[in-house]
Order: sequence, then structure tokens, then C-alpha cells
Amino acid sequence: MQFGPIWRALMRNKTGAILIALQVAVTMAIMVNAISIIQTRAEAMARPSGIDEPNIFYISSIGFNDAFNERVAVEEDLAALRAMPGVVDALQTNSVPLSGGGWSMGLQTEPGDDMDGVGVAVYFVDDHALDTYDLELVAGEFFSPTDIEWREGSSSTWPDRTVITVAMAEALFGEDEWRSGVGKTVYINNNEPMTVTGIIDRMQAAWNGWDGVERTMLVPQRTLFGSSRYIIRAEPGLRDELMPQVEEMLAQSNKDRIVRGLRTMEETRERSYRGDASMIKLLMFTIGLLLLITALGIVGLASFSVSRRTKQIGTRRALGATRADIAGYFMSENLLISGMGVLLGAALTVGLNMWMVDAFDLDRMEVWLVPAAMGVLLVVGQLAVFGPARRASSVPPAVATRTV
Amino acid sequence: MFNYYLKLGWLSLRANPLLSLLMVAAIGVGIGACMTILTVNYTMSGNPIPHKSDQLYHVQLDSWDANDPGEDGYNPPDQVTYNDAMALMNGAPGFRQVASNRSGLVLEPEGDDERPFSVDVRNTWADFFPMFDTPFLYGSGWDDTADTTREPVVVLSRELNERVFGGEDSVGRTVRMNGLNFRVVGVLDEWMVVPKFYDVTNGPFNETEEAFIPFNLAVDQELPRNGNTNCWKPPEGDGFEAFKNSECVWIQFWAELRDEQEKAAFSNWLDAYVAEQKELGRFPRPLNNRVLAVMEWMEDRQVVEDDAQVMLGLSFLFLVVCLLNTIGLLLAKFMRKTGDISVRRALGARRSDLFRQHMVEAGLIGLGGGVLGIALTWLGLRGIEVLFGEFVENLVGLDWVMMLTAVGLAIVSALVAGLYPTWRATRIMPASQLKAQ
Amino acid sequence: MLSMQNISMVYRTDTVETHALRQFNLDVGEGEFVAITGPSGSGKTTFLNIAGLLEKFTSGRYELDGKDVSSLSDAATSRVRNEKIGFVFQGFNLIPDLNVFDNVDVPLRYRGFNGAERKQRIERVLDMVGLASRQKHLPAQLSGGQQQRVAIARALAGEPRFLLADEPTGNLDSQMAMSIMELIQEINRGGTTIIMVTHDPTLANLAGRNVHIRDGRVSDSDADTQLAEVAVG
Ligand SMILES: Nc1ncnc2c1ncn2[C@@H]1O[C@H](COP(=O)(O)OP(=O)(O)OP(=O)(O)O)[C@@H](O)[C@H]1O
Ligand SMILES: [Mg+2]
Repeated sequence: MQFGPIWRALMRNKTGAILIALQVAVTMAIMVNAISIIQTRAEAMARPSGIDEPNIFYISSIGFNDAFNERVAVEEDLAALRAMPGVVDALQTNSVPLSGGGWSMGLQTEPGDDMDGVGVAVYFVDDHALDTYDLELVAGEFFSPTDIEWREGSSSTWPDRTVITVAMAEALFGEDEWRSGVGKTVYINNNEPMTVTGIIDRMQAAWNGWDGVERTMLVPQRTLFGSSRYIIRAEPGLRDELMPQVEEMLAQSNKDRIVRGLRTMEETRERSYRGDASMIKLLMFTIGLLLLITALGIVGLASFSVSRRTKQIGTRRALGATRADIAGYFMSENLLISGMGVLLGAALTVGLNMWMVDAFDLDRMEVWLVPAAMGVLLVVGQLAVFGPARRASSVPPAVATRTV
Repeated sequence: MFNYYLKLGWLSLRANPLLSLLMVAAIGVGIGACMTILTVNYTMSGNPIPHKSDQLYHVQLDSWDANDPGEDGYNPPDQVTYNDAMALMNGAPGFRQVASNRSGLVLEPEGDDERPFSVDVRNTWADFFPMFDTPFLYGSGWDDTADTTREPVVVLSRELNERVFGGEDSVGRTVRMNGLNFRVVGVLDEWMVVPKFYDVTNGPFNETEEAFIPFNLAVDQELPRNGNTNCWKPPEGDGFEAFKNSECVWIQFWAELRDEQEKAAFSNWLDAYVAEQKELGRFPRPLNNRVLAVMEWMEDRQVVEDDAQVMLGLSFLFLVVCLLNTIGLLLAKFMRKTGDISVRRALGARRSDLFRQHMVEAGLIGLGGGVLGIALTWLGLRGIEVLFGEFVENLVGLDWVMMLTAVGLAIVSALVAGLYPTWRATRIMPASQLKAQ
Repeated sequence: MLSMQNISMVYRTDTVETHALRQFNLDVGEGEFVAITGPSGSGKTTFLNIAGLLEKFTSGRYELDGKDVSSLSDAATSRVRNEKIGFVFQGFNLIPDLNVFDNVDVPLRYRGFNGAERKQRIERVLDMVGLASRQKHLPAQLSGGQQQRVAIARALAGEPRFLLADEPTGNLDSQMAMSIMELIQEINRGGTTIIMVTHDPTLANLAGRNVHIRDGRVSDSDADTQLAEVAVG
């Protein structure tokens, strides 16, 4: 097309063009940064927890009077749960992946108060953990029934063995050396030794926002904390049927405690990432609305420009312009304006991103988003101006002699 | 004259309803987006106890590890140890001071059919109630003798009283929790503090507790604790006694200090206390006590989440886009009135007359945008509620301040947007029609 | 060159039908200079619009250069206007955002000439109308007469064989009008066929032939008996 004269004509009427270009630029800056946030969140949400989420649910049991013998209750409960038809396996633990509440400790490879430890999430489990969670042991051995001890609420000491995740082994022994961790001694509470007997592939901690969310240790103990959680894995398809049965069974079997917090792992994931999921929806909505507003702005201004230039259009038609020429004129004009907008937008986007990375500790955006957004906005601009351009092309040539 | 301008503005808007609607919608949507996020932020960062927030102080002592500084490398821990809490309760010179922590108990209702249920509890002191000005429906807080005699007394929330006693005046009656019989001394009226400043550690947007019991009683009975506990070294030995004497922090400490003098006296006392403890081999880190007023503490804890701030920033940019949009449309609109304007100029209108006329027109658009904005804000807040669920339930009310802000912001936005187009309109020459067509 | 037979043109609005041309007949030969006169509302502009393919007529037959143009597509009529016809309007119709050079350039762009050719043509026609030094001026920076000269230059730049002018001097004072007329006569002498609508009898007399339109019909034309008969009948 004939960009030269279009550009010169545009320069005689800068304001409208500048406004649209600015609008496109700011829209692009918001859009790209919002998409970058969405990407980060979506990636975080896509990380597997390492356990058989679709079939796992859990429930808490809280003793509330002196008649409650926790040790007996836990043993009876576990026996009853494991015997229930439809239950694959069950165990007692202190906390649930992604639930938001749990224990963390530090492990270090050398003893000493002044050595730096690596933060790790702690789950107390018994020898049924592989089966109950559907974990994959990738090195060493798992706990045997004889390894399992009882832990009092106020206890401050630790058993002599632990199983950790690959991520934890990597943090302790190095990226490529993690396999060598089996059999090594690590220190908890600065000085207390524990032997790593096995390494499991993956199991997430309770806090999805923690940068060590993959660093987990399993400790072979059953707890006597007054309140305990039972993790139950159902056979595929039986979970929803089993849940009320389990709740009823536990409530009836012992009147000295209450059961509460019956929840599926799926719901836990949903709650855990609810903020992120909502943020994603909110941002997508924002982007959509913004594009719509920018498009409407383009439609509005282009319509004005068409009606302001009706006579000019007629004259051009009289001088031999075809309909396509006229439509093309407005489309090209928009391409120029949007083009300036996206160029400015690219700069603005990068600036905003640098500021957000700085102020909110966000991840830097991926570079390809910038050209992609430029393309999208150019297309949106062309779509928006299409209507007014078509109206322009249907201005009859006789307007040249008729309009004052 | 103003009425005449209003009429002209209205006529001009009506002459091009679709375009006017587009401008009103652009402003309205921008305002709606901004106000929705602003409301959430405003509530998050709101002052939960405005009448005395500058007299209530959160107390921190740096009792942390010599080798491993606490949060962010320099902040003292946000809670205090049992021993420090007790020392402060017994000796510190605050006008009022309260150590408290979060707990959960199991309540056994009377009657065999009723199942026991769990209750959110705060272990605290008699001064808690006057200090935080809790509203009472029945009775009052307990007498401070109960703090020392460890008498099992309880203050119930309005909801719990509804649930257990059907909303009756239950003062003097008994509730059974974790095997203990508590005598009800008071029932709170509706009490919401957003953010829940007195315990941000365990969730700044949690509900207030359902029951309040004496701290010392809870410790004596070794009732379960439900809040965050942090230790930089393990307790020396097993059992609750060892835990009490450990360096684990799990208690929130607040003091009411009515003026600078009281505050200075309190800080001096703290410094002296830490010095004394250093002699005994505790507090290995440099002296670093903090006594922060409510809003300073909220600021320090960054109670407004990053997400909310990102959204606020984006929504303001959003408003900018909407304003650019409106400027463009107004400009186009006013420029189309060139004929009208130059005729008016020829008939004797001064620039200032035209300026006022067009600003009134822009203001009208702003007013429309503001009203639409309020409606959209309401919708937006419902949307946020649906999206984020219980996490934000306390955050999404729309009050008068916000409504007026919405309309004000909309009108100001429209006037700002109208400035340039109006200026351009007043530059139109009386004779301009004669040459350029 | 141009031949119209029984052309009629009816404008329909919601309530009224206006017969702007009725059974209109006119032949114009190659190289003629025809002045069209008539009272206001008689159909002069309508005739010009149809002659210049700006509007489609209701019925009748119109041949341009021996070819029937009534059934041409929109794109084809654009092409014909671009290549064969030049327009000069009463209101000049310059594009206010473009300078003199770019205004003259408009039809050449649509013609698809290359840059060098366009530049050469533009300079030639601007030279011819005496505005070579005003290439960078905007329309608003020119006098009415100068604007009309630019419009004429623009009409001539594509070397049309046929120039249509609707009251080209209507907005100008008599002295300026005279100089524009001289320019048009000169163009006619160069071989371009010209049809010019005007109110001014003195200007009309400068043309080779006068056609008077009344009520949508040719009512009188000097020494053209055949047309006069049709008009009476
Ligand atoms: N678009 C239209 N719709 C309806 N009627 C029209 C239209 N254009 C012209 N007319 C009518 O057609 C008739 C002829 O109009 P035209 O413009 O050809 O007159 P004219 O001879 O050029 O007059 P003038 O000398 O005043 O310019 C008039 O009665 C006019 O009202
Ligand atoms: Mg006319």
C-alpha cells in the first residue's frame, strides 16, 4: 500500500493517532506482564505432588478427654481402615502435601551449630507409606515394620533413619550425586545423626509457595500428638463411596475423640492453588476486557475519522480509487498507528516487567511473548478497524459533488 | 449558566448516543476495575482499630540464633518465648499488656445426641478485652484474679453462644471443653477485626476466635496449642516443662502504651531485661527489640499481599487505557463540533464560556461513568468473592467511602480526559469554517 | 466520445421521488468544450455525476468511447474514472491533510505508476498551472484560486481524455474565475474534451457549445436540432 502519503496525512492529525498508539502500548504492556504471571502460576500448578491424588483422602481424629488412649486408638483405627473393602492402604501422619500446615526442619551433612542446614518438610509415616501414597522408591530401601517407633508430642529427639526425596538428596549431596546419598549420615537439630536409607522420587511439602516444596523427608514414627491424620487411598472409583463410610466408622468406633476435616486430596490441591487459579482467571478476564476496550476505542476513533473524511473519500473515489483502495487506506492507517503502538509497547512491556520483577520478586518474562503480543495487537487492530473501513469503502463517489 | 451548560452537554451526548455510551462505558469499566481492586486493598490495609491503633504496640525481642539471624536476616522473631512472655507480664511497665496464643479445643455439648465439635480458642489475659475494646453482648471479661487463680472461665463469641445456648444470656452457665468445665463470664457481640492485627502470624484474615480462656490455665492444663511454633534450637529434654523453658516462640505479645513517656519507659524496661538475660547467657544476638504500633506492624508484615498490589498496579494501568480511550473519543466528538463552536464564537462566546461548556459535558460523562463504575465494582467484588472464596469474604464489602471515591474518581478522570479535547475545542477560530472544509 | 440516450434518473427518498433527469439525450464529440447551464435544481450536477460514472442512472443508455458503461462493475468504473476522466469540483475537494504534491499524487497512486513517473507528471502539471513553487503547501495555506488550480492539476495529472467540471469558478471572484477559464480553454486546445457546468453566461459563452438543462431535460442547445426535437417531444 501507499504508506508514504498515509503517514504524512497522519502526521497532520497526530493526536488521535498518538492516543490510539499509547492505548495499544499500555494494553500490550499489561497483557504481556499478565500473561507472564499466568505462565508462572500455571507452571507451579502443573507440578505433580508425587502422590496418587485422585484416590487419596484424609480425615483428622482428635482425642478430647483423659479416657482417650491414643496409642490403642491409632492401632485399632489403622487395622480397621486397612481392613475396609475398597481401601488400598492407609497410614497415620502429621500433615498432608499442599495442605498449608506442617512441620519443617533443617538437615545438614556435617554436625555443628554453625553449619548451614537445608530446609525440609517432615512427614511421620509408617512402613505402608509407599503403598498409601503410591510413591516410587528410586534408591535404597524403605522402612520395615520393625523400624516404626512412637513419638510423643513433646519429644525432641529423632529416630536413626529417614527416607528423603530426590530433590532433598540433590540439595544435600549435589545435583548429580544424589544417588550416593543412600547410606550417608545427615544431621538434624544441628548435631543429631540420621541415616538416609532410601530415596523416593517425589513428594511435595505442605506449602506450595515454598521454594523447597519438593524437599521432603519421611520419618518412621507414629505420633501421639493428641490429634492425628489418617491418609486413606481408595481403589480407583471407590473414593467418594468410601469417604462417608470411613467417617462413620471412626466416629462410632471411639467416643472419646472427634473426627473432622474429611477431605479429598483433589480438594486440597484446589484450595492450595485457589489463589493462583483465581489470579489466573482474574488476569485473563483483565486481558480480555482490555483488548475489548482497546478494540472499541479503535472502532470509535476510526468511525469518527471515516465520517470526518466522508467528502475526502468521495473525492478519492471520483479520482479512481476502488472500494478496496479505500478500505485498504484505513486498514493501512491503522497498521501504522498500531505498529507505532506495539513498538512503544515493547519498550513499555520490558520496563514494566523489570519493575515488577524487582518489586514483587516475579519471574522475568519469556522473550517470545513480546513479538507474539505485537502480532496479536496488530491483528486486533485490523479486526477492529475492519468495520469502519468497510463503511468507508461504501461511501458513494457522488459525495464528492453533493456534500458541502 | 451552569444549567444551560448542563442542557447543552446533555443534548450533545444525546445527539450521539452510541458514542456517548462508549465513553461512559470506557470510564465505567476502568473505574469498576480500579475500585474493585482498590476496595480489596483498602480493606486489607485498613485500620482494624482506628480509635486507639497508635496506643497499641506489638512487642518483639530478638532471642534468635547467633549463627542464623531470623526473618529476612535482621528482623526479630514475630512471637516470643514462654519465659519472656511471663517475665514481661510480671514486670513490664505497660499500662496494659497481654500475652496470648492460638489454641483449639473440643467442646462437648450437653445432651447425648449432640456430637462434640472443635472450637477455635485464644488463650489470653483479663486485660485482652479492655485493651482491644471487644464489644460485649452479655457479661464481661474475667476478673484479673482468674489469671492468677487459673479459674476455668470463658468468654464466648456470639456465634458459639448461638450454637451452644441458642443465643440466650449464658453468663454463669457451664461449657465443657477438653474434659474441663468452664464457667461463662461473658459473651461477645459481633466482633470483626480486618486485618486480624493481634495475630497476623496465624493468618491476618482469619475470623476472630470462638472462645477466650485464661492463658495460665491453658498452660497449667497443658491444653493443646494450635498456632505457629518456631524453634531455633530443640527443647532441652522431653515433656511440656522442657518446651516451656525452650527458645521456641509461640506467643503474641501486645502492650497498651498511652503516650510517649509510657512507651519510652516500656522500651527502656525491655532493654534492661534483655541485658539481664544476656548476662544469663541468653539473647546471643545484638540488642534488637521492636515495639511497633498497629499500623507500623501491619506495614512490617506486608499484610497487603503482593498479588493484590500487582492487581492494583495493573488496574490503574487499565484505567489509563480507559482514559486514553475517552480522551480520543471526546477529542473526536468535540472536533466534529467545529461548526457549532465557531458559530458560537462568532456570536460572542468567550473562550472561557466554551471551556466551561465542554468541561461540563465531560463531567456529565464522568458522572455516568461513576454510577456505572459503582455497579461494576459491586459486580467485580462478587466476582472476586466467587473466585477466591472464603479467603476474602471479609474483604469485599462496598462502603460509602468507596462509593463516593468511585464517583469522584470517575468525574476527575473524565475532567482530566476532557481537558485536552476542550482546550483544542476552544482554540477553534470563529472563522475557521470559511477556509478548511 | 460521449453519448447519452433517454437517460433518466430518479432519486427516491422515503416519501418523494425526484426526477432529476428525464429522457435525457446528449452527444459530445472528441475534443469538444461543452458548457452546461440551467436553473438551480435542474439536474446539472446529476448529469455530470452520471457522465463521470459517479452515480448509476435509473434507465437509458450511456456509451463512453463507444462502450456501454451501464453494466460495468464498481471496480471497473473506478478504473475508467481513473484513466479517462478528470474531475474539477466547485469546492475544490482538496484533501486538507495532504500537501499540494500529495494531492496531485492521489489519482496517480491509484493508477499504479512508479515513483519516478509520478514525480515527473506531478511536476509537469503543477508547472502548467503555475504552482511549481508551492508543492509543499497545504491546501489551507493557498488562496481559493490557487486551490482550484491544484484541483485542475490533479484532474490533469493522469492525462484524462475527458475533463468534467462542476462550477469550477463558483467559489472564486470574477478575475480569478477568468484566469481559471483561460487555463481550462488552454487544456481544451490541447485536445481534452471538456464538459463544464456553470451559472455564469459569460463563462458559458467561452465554450464551444452551450447546453441548457431545464427540469431534467436538454431544453436548448445551439444549432443542435435533433436534440431540440427530442426535448420538445
Ligand atoms: N441524493 C439525492 N437524493 C434526492 N434528491 C436529490 C439528490 N441529489 C439531487 N437531488 C435532487 O435532484 C434534483 C437535481 O439536482 P442537481 O444537484 O442535479 O441540481 P443542479 O442543477 O446541480 O442545481 P444547482 O445549480 O443548484 O447546483 C434536485 O431537485 C435535487 O433536489
Ligand atoms: Mg449543482
